[in-house]
Amino acid sequence: MKGYNRKEIKESSLFLLPLLLFVSAFILIPVIGTMIDSTFLDVAFLKKRFSGLDNYRWMIRSPGFWQSVRFTLLFVMVSVPLEMILGLIFALLLNEPTPARGILRASVLVPWAIPAAVSARTWELIYNYNYGLANFVWRKLGFSAEPINWLGSEFGAFASLVIADTWKTTPFVAIILLAGISAIPGELHSQAKVDGASLFQRFAKITLPLIKPALMVALIFRTIDALRIFDIIYVLTRGGPGGATTSLSLYGYNYFLIGDFGYGSAVSAVLFGVALMLSIAYMKIGRFGEELK
Amino acid sequence: MRERKIKLVLVLTGSIFMLLFCLAPFLYMISASLSSNQYFLSTQGFFEITLENYRAILTAPSLHFIDYLRNSLIVSSATAVLTIFVASLAAYCVTRLAMPGKIFILFSVLAVSMFPQISLISYLFKFMAGLGWVNTYAALILPYIAWTLPLSLWILVSYFMQIPQDLDKAALIDGCSRWQILRKVIFPVAAPGIISTTLLAFIFAFNEFMFALMLTTDYHARTIPVGIALFQGLHGQTPWGNIMAASTFSTLPLVILTLVFQRRIIQGLTRGALKG
Amino acid sequence: MPASANRAGGKVFRLVLFPIFLLLQPMGCTSQPDGITLSVGGAPAELDFWQSLVEQFEKEKNVQVHLLRQPTDSDQRRQGLVIALQAKKHDPDVFLMDVVWIAQFAASNWLQSIGRYVETDGLDLNVFFENVVNLVDRHRGDLIALPIYVDGGLLYYRKDLLGQYGIETAPATWEQLVENAEQVQQQMRKTLPDFHGFVWQGAQYEGLICNFLEFAGSNGGGILVEDGKVALNSPENLEAVRFMHDLIHKYKISPLSTFTEMREEQVRETFQRGTALFERNWPYAWALHQAPNSIVRGKTAIAPLPRFASGKSVATLGGWHVGISRFSDQKEPSWELVKFLTSYEAQKKLALNLGWNPGRKDLYNDPEVLRDMPHLARLREVFENARPRPTLPYYTQLSEVIQRCLNSILAGGVTPENALASAEKEAQAVVNRYQPR
Repeated sequence: MKGYNRKEIKESSLFLLPLLLFVSAFILIPVIGTMIDSTFLDVAFLKKRFSGLDNYRWMIRSPGFWQSVRFTLLFVMVSVPLEMILGLIFALLLNEPTPARGILRASVLVPWAIPAAVSARTWELIYNYNYGLANFVWRKLGFSAEPINWLGSEFGAFASLVIADTWKTTPFVAIILLAGISAIPGELHSQAKVDGASLFQRFAKITLPLIKPALMVALIFRTIDALRIFDIIYVLTRGGPGGATTSLSLYGYNYFLIGDFGYGSAVSAVLFGVALMLSIAYMKIGRFGEELK
Repeated sequence: MRERKIKLVLVLTGSIFMLLFCLAPFLYMISASLSSNQYFLSTQGFFEITLENYRAILTAPSLHFIDYLRNSLIVSSATAVLTIFVASLAAYCVTRLAMPGKIFILFSVLAVSMFPQISLISYLFKFMAGLGWVNTYAALILPYIAWTLPLSLWILVSYFMQIPQDLDKAALIDGCSRWQILRKVIFPVAAPGIISTTLLAFIFAFNEFMFALMLTTDYHARTIPVGIALFQGLHGQTPWGNIMAASTFSTLPLVILTLVFQRRIIQGLTRGALKG
Repeated sequence: MPASANRAGGKVFRLVLFPIFLLLQPMGCTSQPDGITLSVGGAPAELDFWQSLVEQFEKEKNVQVHLLRQPTDSDQRRQGLVIALQAKKHDPDVFLMDVVWIAQFAASNWLQSIGRYVETDGLDLNVFFENVVNLVDRHRGDLIALPIYVDGGLLYYRKDLLGQYGIETAPATWEQLVENAEQVQQQMRKTLPDFHGFVWQGAQYEGLICNFLEFAGSNGGGILVEDGKVALNSPENLEAVRFMHDLIHKYKISPLSTFTEMREEQVRETFQRGTALFERNWPYAWALHQAPNSIVRGKTAIAPLPRFASGKSVATLGGWHVGISRFSDQKEPSWELVKFLTSYEAQKKLALNLGWNPGRKDLYNDPEVLRDMPHLARLREVFENARPRPTLPYYTQLSEVIQRCLNSILAGGVTPENALASAEKEAQAVVNRYQPR
């Protein structure tokens, strides 16, 4: 304990105490409690008893579970790249010294500021079969006479969720990437221009490599967020049609509703495990905090 | 020359797309809230401006819209203020005081922010139910504080780190306690960061959904996101005008707040995510 | 201890923990200081009526009633109730339950037993539909709810079209229904290309189970769970699901959208547009069919659902029941409210104002009610033979499993035998998990 003095440690403890209390009481303990609960048969109308890995065995044999795993993975694999690409484009645009820069930056924050559940109801109206904005645009663009059944068909529901989620979360990616892009010294680009590099060459050889840290941060944040998606799905499709768009979070939630806490806890424990692995990966890759030492 | 033209075209189309993409749903929400009917985009539709939707949601007691708004404002403000308090104490400690294991704590807190909410809710619900706190402000504020602490902590750490420790040392020599230093020296200097973090905490608390869904049962403690999500009408006929009016009314202040403080917010988010 | 650390500690305590301590006084009221809370759902117009109804109660009994409005969506109403009951809140005291939830609520010990109140007050239970009360409102013999609104599946048909093609009565058997439908559809398709003989609910949701139970039940089949054993893969059920599949793919009198989209409203709209001969739906559709701007106004008639040759007509029981929370802090006033809501006068008002089919049999002879809702005369017979879905606390899980399998049979691509067999296996797994030992 060389280098630390008792007085400072005492003070530090006091200063850190509230934080530790809150995080332990309302996050750590609930998570541990949930994991423990997953080893019990905990159903509202049955006697509670220890059941070991029964809930997990039930989970593996549940078609509903695998359906939600498939959907969640598919959702992540489609929406995260989409958000990253769009976010990168937006960030590049925001980096340009255009006169409209202020307006652009303001507009990009709008989707982020609105609660997901509230925006989801607007999307519900947009995707309305008879009079929504989406089919209005579809008709005007003349792709086909028949409007799309956005919320009633499996493919339509998936697409509508991806679009709605992308709209909500691209701003976050854009902001993160913008920070990375604006940190690139201008001389690098001007030097490259002098050397005769084209626009796309400069982008690929200078911009992309230098914003790799920011890209990684955005990627992992978004992946974890996409894995635990709940709000938009609850409002827009309620997991339908027929369970086709039920994410793992919603799947666990449905079981809480019917009173099967044990099984819901098991599902959330699985989700937690995946999120934990990803966040550890993030910190390994990030290698942050060195400045603090 | 050609390259500049290409770039101009790209930037122009990109900007237009970006504006449309980001603003179209929001503008549609506002239009629908001002429309007398929801069919204005269908083939036989027409558009007629009216304030009836706003009047309806603001004056119909059984809709409880004002209650939801009040609950949201109280819960979010309390969360923001308390989070800042707790987070600045911890951030001060991390950036100025020597303590074994503080890096570990910092990273654990970060890891904790990545937990899925569904993994907490069952135990949290039982905990709150056991205390009889379901459907009270406490049931929301306390978990919200814990939930917004990680990001707030990291943002404040990145701001505090930039304040030179000489200021502290001078004040210490003058006989101030650490707490006084935090209050009188750090807070004023880090005011921009404090504002960013307060705003972010407020917005995150305001937008939270799952906890509010499971820990509240009616208008006594229910917040806006849940209230609007569950807003329903006749069997088969959803009152879109009312829903859009409620959405606009409750989110317009948020949006305005965000626009006014956009610099601060962007700065805060960036520092929180990229750690300075 | 150094002074500065002391002061730091003191400040921390005062400024951090004190506000938290304040918060520990739970803010945001948890229960109404006085009066009882009645939880209802419904449209704004319905709510106004409920308001006037409880005002009458308030005047009579001098008890304050707070109306708690819930969303119209059934799942969301259930969620609101489940969370409040799981948290053992005092409110709501009295609430309405969909008939399918009662088993779960009762088994979870959330419902107050009202048997002794009934006895003390000398209430005659025979005025209610016996099958409903005995099959659904009892948990281990205890009375825990009373019916306030009864629903059952019906056959709607275009009497004008039947008459036009020389068919005298509504079909009594499914065979006859197919015959009639094929005949009329062939002719009607000449002018209305998307005319269908028979529309019913086949999408993957609870309504599919309701329809299935009517087909299978009228063949002597159904979903049987007894002594922890599930009987689903029976010859009677097989015949029924084969028939359901054939309606769409072989006889082609039901549209392909039956198993993708057809729920109550879609079915109703199809019939109301004049593009269907037979419709299976709940009684609520009657008023809408008779609305002024309806194409089928005055041309619609109702009948009990058909049966298979050797069976009996079966209607799936639906509807809403009223119950008292076991955690209510005002049980006597709550019982008074329940008594009031199930009284002759209140039920009559509900029938006349909201079009609700009363849970009391005696109202089906009331002249005023019959004048406004003439179809009630036929409904009584249907309701007396209505059959509930399995009254199991884990019915939702069971239903979800069976829905999936049934829907896949309707979609084609799986043989009915295999699908029914795997449905039984999965259902058995559900029963094994949730059956109390």
